[in-house]
Amino acid sequence: MTQGKRARSGWSRREFLKTAGVAAATIAFPEIIISCGPQSSSTPTATIPKPRKGASIRLLQWTSFVKPADAEFKRQAAEWGAANGVTVAIETVTGDQLQPKTAAAVEANSGPDIIQMQYGWPQLYTDACLDVSNEVNILIGKLGKPDPVNEAFCKVKGIWRAIPYTIVPNAWTYRTDYFQQAGVSAFPTTWDELTTAAAKLKATGKPISQTDGHAYGDSLTMWNPVLWGFGGKEVNADGKTVAINSKETRDAIRWAQGAVKAGLVVHPEWLDPDNNQAYHANRISGTLNGASIYIREKIEFHKYTDVTNNAPMPSGPKGTFAMNLIFNHAVMKWSQDAETAKAMLLALMDKDQYMKWTTVASGYNAGPFDAFHGDPVFSSDPKLKAFQDVVAPGKWPGWPALPSKKTAQAQTQYIVADMFAKALANDGTGDVEAAVKAAETSLKAIFERP
Amino acid sequence: MGIRTRPDAPAVSKRRRVRIFDREAPLGYVLLVPTLVVLGVFLLYPFLFGIWLSITDSELGVLGNFIGLGNYRFEWRNTDGVFYTALVNTFLYTGVTTIFKFSLGLVMALLLNQVIPFRRFVRAALLLPYIIPTVLSYEAWRWMFDPTFSVVNWLLVNTHLAAYPGPNWLGVPANAMAALMIVNVWRGTPFYAIAFLAGMQVIPVDLYEAARVDGATRWQQFTNITLPMLRPVLLVVLLLSTILTFADFQGPFVLTNGAPYNSTQLLSIWAYQWGIPGGAIGLGAAISLVLFPLLTIVVAGVLFLLRRPE
Repeated sequence: MTQGKRARSGWSRREFLKTAGVAAATIAFPEIIISCGPQSSSTPTATIPKPRKGASIRLLQWTSFVKPADAEFKRQAAEWGAANGVTVAIETVTGDQLQPKTAAAVEANSGPDIIQMQYGWPQLYTDACLDVSNEVNILIGKLGKPDPVNEAFCKVKGIWRAIPYTIVPNAWTYRTDYFQQAGVSAFPTTWDELTTAAAKLKATGKPISQTDGHAYGDSLTMWNPVLWGFGGKEVNADGKTVAINSKETRDAIRWAQGAVKAGLVVHPEWLDPDNNQAYHANRISGTLNGASIYIREKIEFHKYTDVTNNAPMPSGPKGTFAMNLIFNHAVMKWSQDAETAKAMLLALMDKDQYMKWTTVASGYNAGPFDAFHGDPVFSSDPKLKAFQDVVAPGKWPGWPALPSKKTAQAQTQYIVADMFAKALANDGTGDVEAAVKAAETSLKAIFERP
Repeated sequence: MGIRTRPDAPAVSKRRRVRIFDREAPLGYVLLVPTLVVLGVFLLYPFLFGIWLSITDSELGVLGNFIGLGNYRFEWRNTDGVFYTALVNTFLYTGVTTIFKFSLGLVMALLLNQVIPFRRFVRAALLLPYIIPTVLSYEAWRWMFDPTFSVVNWLLVNTHLAAYPGPNWLGVPANAMAALMIVNVWRGTPFYAIAFLAGMQVIPVDLYEAARVDGATRWQQFTNITLPMLRPVLLVVLLLSTILTFADFQGPFVLTNGAPYNSTQLLSIWAYQWGIPGGAIGLGAAISLVLFPLLTIVVAGVLFLLRRPE
């Protein structure tokens, strides 16, 4: 009976409310609807946050390896602050200091209004991060789909806890002169080719080198893609069942051992800046890194710019994988001016503003929405293309499971990197079984812990 | 009938107050109050809060539920496979560095207690490792141990003490542990030396003069006068240093952060790994409190030795 009535009128109460809501939003905020484009369905109920005149906003984030990028970010924030009568303070700290500072703020329930969330921190500090679904929906309306990795990190149980900010793509930077000298015409496109190239490069005295130590960036961006490329994984997609003890994992480790025996030089003692320094000091012929090595050569050192090129990640038997540094911005729950903080983040993510920043960053940063995929900064220099190419195959630590507290813990304990490091000890002759077993024990301690 | 106030009442009260301040015991307690408040707020409260955290499943920013000794059981069963490595490393690190710091500190203090040229300058220079900001000095050491730019290796290779390129200080487990110990000894020895020197300077010179008259050798003077007279200082310094070294974090964190593959993992770093980047603050608190009973025994032992008559 009721169904019949609905069918006749074509209106249910829910549909009526929905339509009325859209109409009200359209009248109140016509600019949202205009800018929504093809994905506007998620935005009609969006409310644009308004800055409060006289507010003070503190933002904490890492110090970029490309210094002018920080200067431009601060300039834009100050400009927005001046235009809106808001005092803005941008505090930058080194990457390894950011998490302790963030953790201290979370525990004290006090601190900066906005904190840059790296990797899976929104999963770790969920309760301290305000729901920013409204703001992300506004950005989706304007900029298109977010990058899947940013989305995976920002979204906790369906709620956006951080606003996608940037991707720091990681690709290989190498010396073309040494490669030619060694008879290697192009950067390897498969891991097996990399083994062959590493052998030839080692003979020149300038090896291809990478960390397998406790470097929070370079170690993870190297060894996770190797593991995935051979079909290995830490945990199943359910996020519960530890799956590291597999033939695929052993295949990945055996490849790494073969590469090290052939000539790939691994450094367990290297932290993130060390491969940069080794490259600039002309000690190595290639390494995996963000674009900072190339950019600093180009704009600062000018020593090896012409003989430096970049290449995307080689492929394994199970495909091409990459892991990039992913940064997002969370508005913290203790902020006295959360609306102002959200308004500022939206302004900084404005397409024109953002692309001014990526231009200054010279290719070190890629935008996390569809609208940034054609960022001209990557076509301005063909050598930067590799950094654009590694965005699409990017995954997150713990993949194929979704990011969670558990995957974040496994990441911060360097379990995958340590597994490889253990097997690569003594020039690639470490005990594979012991390495896998240790990784499995550590992962089970995390994933099976209540 | 109104209440009549005695005209001399204020004077009596004042006199009583004065009398209270005249008596040593009440005055002592009154003067202790500020210290007790400071200790309570900054020491006792965080300590008790730490114990509470360790018996809960708290996460960063979220107070958890009581789980009894669950966190301790988790670690004592070596569930994560790293705890025992960290435990053994912590004992090794503390034991070896304490022996070196004690011996070198004593030797340095004995030397500085002699009349030597530029004595004041040398004494001041001794404190350099203490004056330099901690993290800065550890970063400098990291730079010195760097395989690419190591000045240590440059010296070793150029003096033919090691073959090129020299030892990989932070990349090989045994070397990395040795490197951590070297830096800790470098930084900690001045503390021992200065404390021992202060102790030596209050030993009456008459005792040495009398011993010399009796024909005592330098060694006999050292073992029969210096060491016994220095005993309280030795014990207190040893106690403080042992506790601080057990809990040492900054140096090992900057230099290796547990690498390579957790071979230099210490309890302090492991507690941090779980508690701060891992967000499991309850478990982190439990790891950092694991040594508390043992350290309590050490402290009690030293205090007993200090109170024991000669």
